[in-house]
Amino acid sequence: MGNDLKQQEENLIDRTVIICLKSVSKYYRRSQETLRVLDHIDLDIYQGEILALLGPSGCGKTTLLRQIAGFDHRESGSLLMDGHEVVQPEVKRIMIFQDFNQLFPWKTVIQNVVYPLQVNRVGESDTANREIALEYLKLVELTGFEDSYPHQLSGGMKQKAAMARALALKPKVLLMDEPFGSLDALTRIALQNLLLKVWQETGVTIIFVTHDIQEAVILSDRIAVMGRETAGIKKVIPNLLDRPRVVGEAGYSEIYGHVYSLMDINPTK
Amino acid sequence: MKMTNKTSSYQKIKTRLFWVIVILVLWEIVAQSGIFPAAIFPSLLVIARALENSIVSGEILLQTAFSLALILQGFLISLLAAILVSSLAAGNKMFNGLVDTLAAIAHPLPGIALLPLIIVWFGTGTTSILVIIVHSVIWPMILNIMTGFKAISPIYKEAGLNFGLNRFQIIKDILIPASLPYVLSGIRIGWARAWRALISAEMIFGAVGLKGGLGWYIFKQRVFMDTPGMFAGIFVIVLIGIIVEDYVFAAFEERTVKKWGMI
Ligand SMILES: Nc1ncnc2c1ncn2[C@@H]1O[C@H](COP(=O)(O)OP(=O)(O)OP(=O)(O)O)[C@@H](O)[C@H]1O
Ligand SMILES: [Mg+2]
Repeated sequence: MGNDLKQQEENLIDRTVIICLKSVSKYYRRSQETLRVLDHIDLDIYQGEILALLGPSGCGKTTLLRQIAGFDHRESGSLLMDGHEVVQPEVKRIMIFQDFNQLFPWKTVIQNVVYPLQVNRVGESDTANREIALEYLKLVELTGFEDSYPHQLSGGMKQKAAMARALALKPKVLLMDEPFGSLDALTRIALQNLLLKVWQETGVTIIFVTHDIQEAVILSDRIAVMGRETAGIKKVIPNLLDRPRVVGEAGYSEIYGHVYSLMDINPTK
Repeated sequence: MKMTNKTSSYQKIKTRLFWVIVILVLWEIVAQSGIFPAAIFPSLLVIARALENSIVSGEILLQTAFSLALILQGFLISLLAAILVSSLAAGNKMFNGLVDTLAAIAHPLPGIALLPLIIVWFGTGTTSILVIIVHSVIWPMILNIMTGFKAISPIYKEAGLNFGLNRFQIIKDILIPASLPYVLSGIRIGWARAWRALISAEMIFGAVGLKGGLGWYIFKQRVFMDTPGMFAGIFVIVLIGIIVEDYVFAAFEERTVKKWGMI
């Protein structure tokens, strides 16, 4: 077992870096002070992994994820994907937002998935794009809701549809900003399992923002813990538990405790 | 869902009909009572006969067609121009400032106030009427569309950028559908204003040859003291207003923003 762990850890180190952050800084200027949300962040993201970005509210998780997506300008530093500087959003990195209202309300579920395929000329014809869309809707278990409009779906179904829309484009990296944060506990577990299934089938790299330690431990290969004071990443913890993972099983509480101790949760203050 | 929708619109028609009948009955009672001379306050029957006569002679149909053709032209020009201007303004801060300023100047200016100027510039033909319609419609339309663009959740635009849409696709496939509720209310305000502008301009310009439009038709009856004829013209205007509101705008709304759960 010990050897196994060591082996796995070496495998991790051997993996190809797909996204590389070097000294990335992002400040927000307010009337008087400058808020240094990200201060010289270094981070490597490995191909095919699930990396959890974990931290308290306001620590800069969304800010960091939007940097990686290419939505915002940065003060300094370099952010490379496959050796190319990220300067704008691209189809190879697709963002999934926390907001349930990210599907286009004027399109049906399938039209939402087909539209980006048409724009990017993924399939050769509209029929081909429709086939692709149906396949991904099946993958996220939304078969039967193709012709519904987004407002007719539950929050969990909307997030599934957003996943299908993103995955159909075959992005290399999926950026997920607390996508299950507003769901009830049962739906959240169902969607976590779905995400793991989809990850195993597609091999996509996932950067997953959450403030839920349990979610980070269940999903990720590594957990990057962000702290409010440090304006960056405190520590990256490898999470090598066997999959499928179950809360409370061997090894779970150790890693949970380790993360917890890093989270500046101070009951006396 | 569908059921309640149907019953509520049925309910709406029923109350509408009820009050229309009440108003008509009251009208007839007043007309028959002889409080006012028949020449000022004609009975419904006389109005109906006047309407019938002008339909049979073809006069009112001709004038209505003339007015409708003008208003549709003016309206379409305004709608397209407003979408174009608002889209350009959405992409360029300088231009946005210019449009904003122009709208602030022109929006409160009634079209009729410009009439003498427009006559000097364009004469008293249909061009002038079109100019007045466009002036009346385009500013509220631009203001509404620009407000709609600003109100769009940034997520839609960001998702669009993420999917690799170009500027044109962002405007056509995201900004416009996402702001459709605002565009629609702009269209409604614009339509009401276009009617007012059109009817007033027609009354002032008079006929070019036989055609002068509904405004001219109503105005003309004054010469003969033909009160029933005036009411016949007003009736046609009201009828068109109701048809456009209930069967064009409301139906379009039902098939778009309502179906999409956007309002
Ligand atoms: N556009 C902005 N302008 C100014 N300050 C901002 C802006 N966006 C974020 N901030 C600030 O940057 C800090 C980090 O915000 P961020 O949204 O990244 O936090 P987060 O970790 O995602 O929090 P949460 O878990 O609540 O989503 C916060 O203090 C926030 O107030
Ligand atoms: Mg956030």
